[in-house]
Amino acid sequence: MGSCLDKYQELLGQLQKQADIMQHTSLLLDPYIQSQGLDKDGLKEHCRERPGAYPSKDALQGLGRWEFLRTLDTTLGHVLHRLTALRRDIPRAQDLEILNRAKQNIRGFKNNIHCMAQLLPGSSETTEPTPTGPGTSPSPTPTSDTFQRRLEGCRFLHGYHRFMHSVGQVFREWGESPSRSRRHSPHQGLRKGTSRMQLSRKNKRLLPRGQLPR
Amino acid sequence: MRFEWEVLQNENPEPMALFSVFQTTFLLALLSLRTYQSEVLSEPLPWAPESLKVFINSTHQCLHLQWSVHNLAHHQELKMVFQIEISRIKTSNVIWVENYSTTVKWNQVLHWSWESKLPLECAKHFIRMRSAEDDAKTPEQSFWSNWSSWEEVDVQNSLGHDPLFVFPKDKLVEEGSNVTICYVSRSPQSNISCYLEGVQMQGEQLEPNVTVFNLNHVAFIRETGTNIYCKGDQGDSIKGIVLFVSKVLEEPKEFSCETQDLTTLNCTWDPGSDTGLLKQLSQSYTLFESFSGKKTLCKHKSWCSWEVAPESQEMYNFTLTAENYLRKRSVHLLFNLTHRVHPMAPFSVLFTDVSTTNATMTWKVHSTGNYYTLLCQVKLYGEGEVTQHNVSVEVDGEQLFSGLEPDTEYRAQVRCANANHFWKWSEWTHQNFTTAEAAPSEAPDVWRNVKSVQGHSVVTLFWKPLSKLQANGKILFYNIVIENLDRSSSSKFLSIPAPANGTELNLDQCSYQIHVTAHNSVGTSPASVIIVSGDPGNKEVEEERVKGTEDGFSLSWKPQPGNVTGYIVEWCDRPRGPLCDLQWKSVGPTTTSTVVSSDAFRPGVQYNFRIYGISTERVPYLLEKKTGYSQELAPSDNPQVVMSNLTSRSFTLSWKDYSIESQPSFIQGYHVYLKSKAGQCHSGSEKAVLSDDAVCCKYKIDNPKQKTFVVENLQPESFYEFLVTPYSSVGEGPHGAFTKVTTPDEYSPILIRVILPMVFCILLIMIICYLKSQWMKEKCYPDIPDPYKSSVLSLIKSKENPRLTIMNIKDCVPDSIEVLNKQEGTRKSLTETESSKPTYLYLLPTEESYSGPGPCICFENFTYNQAASDSASCGHVPVAPKAPPSQLALLTSPENLLKALEENYMNSLGEIPAGETSLNYVSQLASAMTGDKFSLPTNPPEPALCSEYKMQMAIPLGLASPPSSGSSSLSSFTLLDEGEHYH
Repeated sequence: MGSCLDKYQELLGQLQKQADIMQHTSLLLDPYIQSQGLDKDGLKEHCRERPGAYPSKDALQGLGRWEFLRTLDTTLGHVLHRLTALRRDIPRAQDLEILNRAKQNIRGFKNNIHCMAQLLPGSSETTEPTPTGPGTSPSPTPTSDTFQRRLEGCRFLHGYHRFMHSVGQVFREWGESPSRSRRHSPHQGLRKGTSRMQLSRKNKRLLPRGQLPR
Repeated sequence: MRFEWEVLQNENPEPMALFSVFQTTFLLALLSLRTYQSEVLSEPLPWAPESLKVFINSTHQCLHLQWSVHNLAHHQELKMVFQIEISRIKTSNVIWVENYSTTVKWNQVLHWSWESKLPLECAKHFIRMRSAEDDAKTPEQSFWSNWSSWEEVDVQNSLGHDPLFVFPKDKLVEEGSNVTICYVSRSPQSNISCYLEGVQMQGEQLEPNVTVFNLNHVAFIRETGTNIYCKGDQGDSIKGIVLFVSKVLEEPKEFSCETQDLTTLNCTWDPGSDTGLLKQLSQSYTLFESFSGKKTLCKHKSWCSWEVAPESQEMYNFTLTAENYLRKRSVHLLFNLTHRVHPMAPFSVLFTDVSTTNATMTWKVHSTGNYYTLLCQVKLYGEGEVTQHNVSVEVDGEQLFSGLEPDTEYRAQVRCANANHFWKWSEWTHQNFTTAEAAPSEAPDVWRNVKSVQGHSVVTLFWKPLSKLQANGKILFYNIVIENLDRSSSSKFLSIPAPANGTELNLDQCSYQIHVTAHNSVGTSPASVIIVSGDPGNKEVEEERVKGTEDGFSLSWKPQPGNVTGYIVEWCDRPRGPLCDLQWKSVGPTTTSTVVSSDAFRPGVQYNFRIYGISTERVPYLLEKKTGYSQELAPSDNPQVVMSNLTSRSFTLSWKDYSIESQPSFIQGYHVYLKSKAGQCHSGSEKAVLSDDAVCCKYKIDNPKQKTFVVENLQPESFYEFLVTPYSSVGEGPHGAFTKVTTPDEYSPILIRVILPMVFCILLIMIICYLKSQWMKEKCYPDIPDPYKSSVLSLIKSKENPRLTIMNIKDCVPDSIEVLNKQEGTRKSLTETESSKPTYLYLLPTEESYSGPGPCICFENFTYNQAASDSASCGHVPVAPKAPPSQLALLTSPENLLKALEENYMNSLGEIPAGETSLNYVSQLASAMTGDKFSLPTNPPEPALCSEYKMQMAIPLGLASPPSSGSSSLSSFTLLDEGEHYH
């Protein structure tokens, strides 16, 4: 991992912009729909985020900063995992290129999340980036039924863009009112592990069971 | 051998059902008969199929049957036939019957597969079989065993509890295939709709909860497959399948193998369409050589390498096989290796001994064996030409090029092929070379322009750059030698560096011979000689008009009777520009016509051509002049017209400044348009309708040099509009704004001619009168004689009579002044009083008023001496002039007079009542104007003390004649006594 920006506002601005970019469906969802032939009436309406697949905006806003970053990092780890699995349904090279580019963006975003976590007060004890290994997925395990897998992939990508939109809004709230919420205060981390553990437990209640990291 | 005989109940249900019933009945009857025969004629067969098992492969929609035959002896082999029946939905609905023949061994497990067109999940299937000994000689007399029991295949039981299923999942078919699809609904009451790529499909109900759809000739849509999906009317649940439709695998085309080095064969082909899908890789290719028995899997879709056998195998028989999941295709190729040699491109192409016209090219070829001869083809490109040579080569090649142009770049290329068995040419190998320079071969084309400036000739020499073929190298400079023909010893030398194409020479009036040569690094060109004669000899030549075309001007001239060495046509490419860009064209002595063309020629521009003949002495002389347009255009502007001589009946138009030479076409004349309210056209004009439908009279002037026109026959006090526009063969000028004019009335000029001279004469008379006023005054109003200068004095003096003396005005002491007040019209002065009676001012003390010495009052005669009024040192008695101002004006300025009067009056006689006062002074002396009446008095009164008679006051003109009555308004001045008055 490269060196991190040590300027909080600058890093926060980067995260906001990245999230704003990644929320655009033209980056992933639209090419996927087109390549899979899902751009037909009667199919498009079934390409909606499965409820509970991703943390809702309210759930993200209710998280403390530290827990928010952890949730974000873990969720994006699962997204990377799913995108890798999605490759099997994308035969064309240009579509694969789009997929790979999106994965690189997510990896860069995760790095910035890690850097932001280091800037949060009290982060010295847990500055390691959240493991991005296999874990619970934001959507059901892909089936062997190509059609169902296709729809699931579409729903997964739809949820992903919505999720990044919510993430961008949360980051924007960070920038607009740094001390509006205790949970979003950068000084919250000063309470160190105890506080973090409490938030982690609360976070588990906020997130759908089996969908978000513990 | 297996045959397909499948009956779907959903295809034409009524006739099919009837046919099925009939068929089943027939078969049952036949089977019953055979069974009866078997039972009757013999014992049941001991080799009945046993342990029948059915396996399902849903992916391939296949049923795999497995059974065995018991009771076979050890090592016994028996040729048997197994009849297999497959029913759908119910056992009586037989959809497939097949006899499967095979040799059965002891303890052998037999297999048989059947692929269903209807997905197995769509309906139950039942299978049973029986066997018979396969007697090829009398097959009709075979005796069947008993049927096995029906084996039921029901995949629906294992589907789960989803409300809806669609089958088959992820089926892979070729484009153009027929596919059967079905859905299985757990709730038969729901309304299910199915779609293929968004388009609803119409199905047929197979069972209450099963509907099938037959897709015929399915098409390829995309690599990711065709989406087929079903959903209920609630729309909450959607299930579907992806049908992978592959393009049909094509046979490889243009399969060919060749070698470049006899060690490797390169085989190529056209693979056709790619059949790759999400579920299927692209087709693969394998290359098999039958003589060697070798096989290789090609890594590329369109070519493959094959190592040539070291044992010098000459013949090769290749089979190229294309294969994908669904199909195989193969092509074959048999050839002799030596007939498939495609040599590599030659290399080490070099040029040696490159001179001005020759060069030698050498090259090498790759070795393809000692016994091969190559045929090489050499092409040489240069100066737009191509030459080709064929050379037989074994190792090295060589080709001599001759007849080349000096200083020219050539491009040579060479390729080779097997000379014995031509297969293909190698790739070309290119190389460029440039021949050496040579001296310029041609003299530069020289022309001159001569101007005489202040007794000198300014000669501008022009020359055209030599063409590449003529220059034979890069021209470095031009040498100019100027020889004075009149003084042969005098010559001048100039060197002009390239790329100059001209120079200017100042020469005197002598004749000169000018030599121009071009030089490159190798040598000198032949000289171009031109004579500049001291006598320009420019004779006047009539200019002719020529008509140009898009291709240029076709010029011709009369052949000259004398000897000429050639002709030169001269013109300017840009005649309107400051630099005319002189051009010339030289033609031979036998040519008397040419076409002059230039990219610079523009429509609407007049070009002038001069044709010179070149004498044998190389002296050019002007022969003809031509002028013309490459394309004439309509005049673009109208002349600036000046109107003059406007009368009530005519006016004159002139446009002297209009230049016909700078027009875009030859001006042939002018049209004068005249608009009038009357609309009548007189002789010499014709009616014309303008573009705005206005009607006017048109006068035509045929002479372009006539630039004046008198418009006549006009009406006085009428409004006219006129326009002058030029016309040429292609049209006339623009109909722009008309100029407006109104004719004057008929009498004004006459009146002006009369009145003006009269006014002039009057003024002249007045001026003369003014200038002769002194004379007139002397004639009409002579000066009052000065008594002191009177001749009388001299007479008196001469008589020495002391008593007779002229009264000095100083001795005159007036005692009173009679002031007459007169009301006269509305005119009132500041001194106007109410009383009309004369007022007497007693200047001398009287009994009543005298109380002491009074002020001296003197009277000043302004008429007599105006300057005296200003210099008078004593008080003045103001006098309001009785005479009209006009009369007074002749004598003095009224303003000064009035002012002086008023001021003095107010200062001296402030007590005098206001009112118009008329003071009339009557001279005590004689008045020249009054004749006898105002003759010099013989008894002059004695002057009073302190009174002064200075001058005489103005005398009204009315007094010039005797008063008509005694009641005159004249005032009497009492100068001596109260009773003594002069009237």
